[in-house]
Amino acid sequence: MKQRQFEARHAALWDDIAQDLKSKLPSLDLPARYRALCHTLAVARQRGYSPSLVARLDSLAIAAHRRLYRSSANQEMVFVRWLRLDFPLLVRAEWRVVLLALLAFLLPLLLCVGLINWRPELAYTVIDPGQLAEYESMYRMAAQRLGRKGPEDDVLMFGVYVWNNISIDLRTFAGGLVAGLGALVSTAYNGMHMGVIGTWLTREPATREAFLSFVVTHSSFEVVGLLLACAAGLKLGGALLLPGRLTRMAALRQAGQRILPMLGGAVLLTLLAAFVEAFWSARTDVPALVKYIVGGLTWLALIAYFCLMGRRRAA
Amino acid sequence: MLDGKLHLSTPEGVSLVFTPAGPARRGYAWLIDWLLRALIGLVLYIPLLVTLGRAGMGLGLVAFFLLQWAYGVLFEVLGDGRTPGKRMLGLQVLREDGLPVGWRESVLRNVLRAIDFMPLCYGIGLGAMLLDARFRRIGDLVAGTIVVYREQPTPLPKALDVAPVALPFPLTPDEQRTLVDLVERVHAVPPQRQLELGDLAQPLTGLRGQASLDRLYGYVAGLTGKDAA
Repeated sequence: MKQRQFEARHAALWDDIAQDLKSKLPSLDLPARYRALCHTLAVARQRGYSPSLVARLDSLAIAAHRRLYRSSANQEMVFVRWLRLDFPLLVRAEWRVVLLALLAFLLPLLLCVGLINWRPELAYTVIDPGQLAEYESMYRMAAQRLGRKGPEDDVLMFGVYVWNNISIDLRTFAGGLVAGLGALVSTAYNGMHMGVIGTWLTREPATREAFLSFVVTHSSFEVVGLLLACAAGLKLGGALLLPGRLTRMAALRQAGQRILPMLGGAVLLTLLAAFVEAFWSARTDVPALVKYIVGGLTWLALIAYFCLMGRRRAA
Repeated sequence: MLDGKLHLSTPEGVSLVFTPAGPARRGYAWLIDWLLRALIGLVLYIPLLVTLGRAGMGLGLVAFFLLQWAYGVLFEVLGDGRTPGKRMLGLQVLREDGLPVGWRESVLRNVLRAIDFMPLCYGIGLGAMLLDARFRRIGDLVAGTIVVYREQPTPLPKALDVAPVALPFPLTPDEQRTLVDLVERVHAVPPQRQLELGDLAQPLTGLRGQASLDRLYGYVAGLTGKDAA
């Protein structure tokens, strides 16, 4: 068969497929048409029709292939399912890296708490004295307004927390790729920082209540978010260090695909922390006792969520 | 193959051919994206700052955050694997099996940019790209993605309007295909060069210059057959 006859015979098929690819909802015949297209492509190749025709059919086939094989659109309720089952299940299944992240955070924190209670001047070796004084004066005036002048400042601080804290999460995760070291160092540094400032401010009665009532609520989301980002990063580093029976590359890919929802959870928690920190924690019209109760309940709820959620289905 | 192309084949026997894009071109695309992000950031930030004051500053920071971390992901997943910079330079992000990138791959490769960017403006990323045969940076390696040249749509060749002429002696299928290819693309070169090509075909046509070229058109019309119009 000459090429022009061949083209005339199949032009309708090719046009239909081109139409299908343009429309948002391709017709149900697309798979059958795609198979017919592949057949014509093979025939055109084998008969040595002109390279331009083969190239045209080739690009049509690639486009149809992408349309047919792209990840299925059938993902209803995927977020609800992730929230109710996948996320807590993943955190429990990866308890080893989560525990390691917790230790990387808690050990420097406790160490700093102990050291500074023993010799307060050691705080100056970690944090610049000027900065410490700034923190102190900020919480000293907290009886009126916590370093803020009005609702405008709440929005400003929200922006700062989103920009700063979530970026820290993402960098901590990425740092995990350096054999887990980046994630560990970042988490340990944050633990140390919190230990020093926390101890420094709780030593004096003038700042104790303001500081504790400020951090108690949002710290739950923020700390857990950071720990999960660190744990996800450690998983990457772990795949690199201990790939098991896979090549390092394959282990890394598998770990990346598996652990990514945990990073998503970490980002979400940190976003929540930014909301709470900006619009609730700094409110001075709420008595400290209420803040302690709310903060305690959030801590309990968060721990219960990760320990208990999705257990029945998993069993 | 030494042409740097990447061949993948599907169960239907279709082969997908990609050309991975190198560091320089991807660097230009990143630079364009960076300038665009800076521009969008400024255009958003200044009016926010003027109208809303300190609250505007906060919203501006949220915008900066999204521009830094979500810009690439959103454009890649919703825009067919192309950020504006990649679009301008004809590049596209794909999964390694040639399918469009999904959320997971895109988030992974864009978050791990933080590693690739170290120590100075993509030092590690450049090193990884130079070591890898497909120019993948660390983020691409972990996410399983590649950045390739987007294939240009091939224009339809002009229809021949000449009387078919029989070949003087049979040609192999390969030679026939070469002949058809030559005639379909010969218009892309200057006229003098076309005449030289006609001269080169003398062993086949027995003619020189334009006459030889016209004879080639005739052969190809004979090979491809009449238009069915």
